[in-house]
Amino acid sequence: MKKGIKYAIWIIIIVFVGYNSVYFRKLSELKATEKTFNAPAYAQDLLNNKLPAVTEKAITLDELITQLKVSPANTFAENGHVLSIGSTKFFMVKGTGTIVDIDDSDVKLSTIAHNELQIATEYVFGNAIRDASGLVNLNDFTNTIDLSNISSEVNKIIRAKVIPPFKSAAKKGDKVEFTGAIELNQAHLNLSDIEMLPVSLKIIP
Amino acid sequence: MSTLNNPWFVFLAQTASAQAKSLGYETKIFDSQNNTATETDNFENAIAAGYGAILFNPTDANGSVVNVNKAKAAGVAVFCMDREVNSTTGPTSQILSDSYSGCVNLGKYFVKQMHKKGKYVEILGIVADNNTWNRSKGFHSVVDYYPGLQMVAQQSADFDRNKGLEVMESILQAHPDIDGVFCGNDAMAMGAYQALAAAGKANKVKVMGFDGAEDAIQGIKDGKILGTAMQFPKVMAQTAANYADEYFKGKRDFPKKIQVGVEMVTGKNVSDYIAYGKKN
Repeated sequence: MKKGIKYAIWIIIIVFVGYNSVYFRKLSELKATEKTFNAPAYAQDLLNNKLPAVTEKAITLDELITQLKVSPANTFAENGHVLSIGSTKFFMVKGTGTIVDIDDSDVKLSTIAHNELQIATEYVFGNAIRDASGLVNLNDFTNTIDLSNISSEVNKIIRAKVIPPFKSAAKKGDKVEFTGAIELNQAHLNLSDIEMLPVSLKIIP
Repeated sequence: MSTLNNPWFVFLAQTASAQAKSLGYETKIFDSQNNTATETDNFENAIAAGYGAILFNPTDANGSVVNVNKAKAAGVAVFCMDREVNSTTGPTSQILSDSYSGCVNLGKYFVKQMHKKGKYVEILGIVADNNTWNRSKGFHSVVDYYPGLQMVAQQSADFDRNKGLEVMESILQAHPDIDGVFCGNDAMAMGAYQALAAAGKANKVKVMGFDGAEDAIQGIKDGKILGTAMQFPKVMAQTAANYADEYFKGKRDFPKKIQVGVEMVTGKNVSDYIAYGKKN
């Protein structure tokens, strides 16, 4: 009898401990609680709250070109940003120019110093704005797809909010204030065919 | 190495080995023949032989993790080159190409050359390799915005030239009137081009690849291939060997991942490039 009570107590203890040690949860519930990176929110915050301070201090395109002609290595080191290693870097620039041509994919400007700039109005893709901002750190992300999604979402906002009002109003001869990101390759430096992904565009009356 | 049946990987292996030797180390190249079980044997042999570091090009982003962890447990540092494993704790560092961004640029060029319309085919690489999906996603992140461009077929040819030829031949049976082909590497692109040439369609169909292999660079010069994305296996291999050297000298704070930029090569700038890198 005593043995029986002893075994019963042990069984109760084992069942109690076992019951509280093993949990079953639906996989869908678990997935819902895992943290996923919110790229659209990140991109919105980058563009609205963080980037203005960067574009405010950005070098003018004319000054950048002047410096690149004199001292390309130093200029790349001081002004260029990129998340990968290699010859390509991205630069945040600003300036003013006059529209000299408009086609399906670009609006071409001539700047105050008569440098040519193409504002991309169709093919707004790639990492230029993300990298040129200097605000995104590779080591903050273990997942490279999240990094790529930042660029994707930033470009989506530019294509939706910045390009359409500009494109519908722009005409030859208009003066434009711009900020944006350009890509340059230090090993194959081409200063006559620069295309910019715009961050802001303003037609000056 | 995942395989030595592809000259690109032969170049990667030989460059890594040469850099390690120049730093004073003994090296050996193991061929995993695209087989994770063979890769496991290679790891066991390397660990048993007393190698202190493995410069690793995985066969499978998930399946290779167990091999990396075995090496780590045996005190052997692993530096991944070109292909990653899905582990943030196993490898000491992973040195990879930025395939996604490279294919965003490829996608942009493809859309422009196709004038935003037409039927195209995608030939994928090895499905267990993250590079396959990084390249595909980068490409589609641009191309899918253009409803005039229609993907009529998508199939894997395992990064292999002969399979690329067979897959292209087979797809042409069902879709004889395509306008473009995007291949996840140059070996498949050259195979696809061969199939198109045999079918008399090489002048009509635009073919794009990825890697910057010798025959693709020549193909661009000859007008056979529209473009490719140049990877820099020399940078990856030398970085991996240098990191191993630093590891042996006591360094431990390596970046978990490094991305090496990839550059577009087309008819316009092909004279600036040679196979696997830049001219100057």
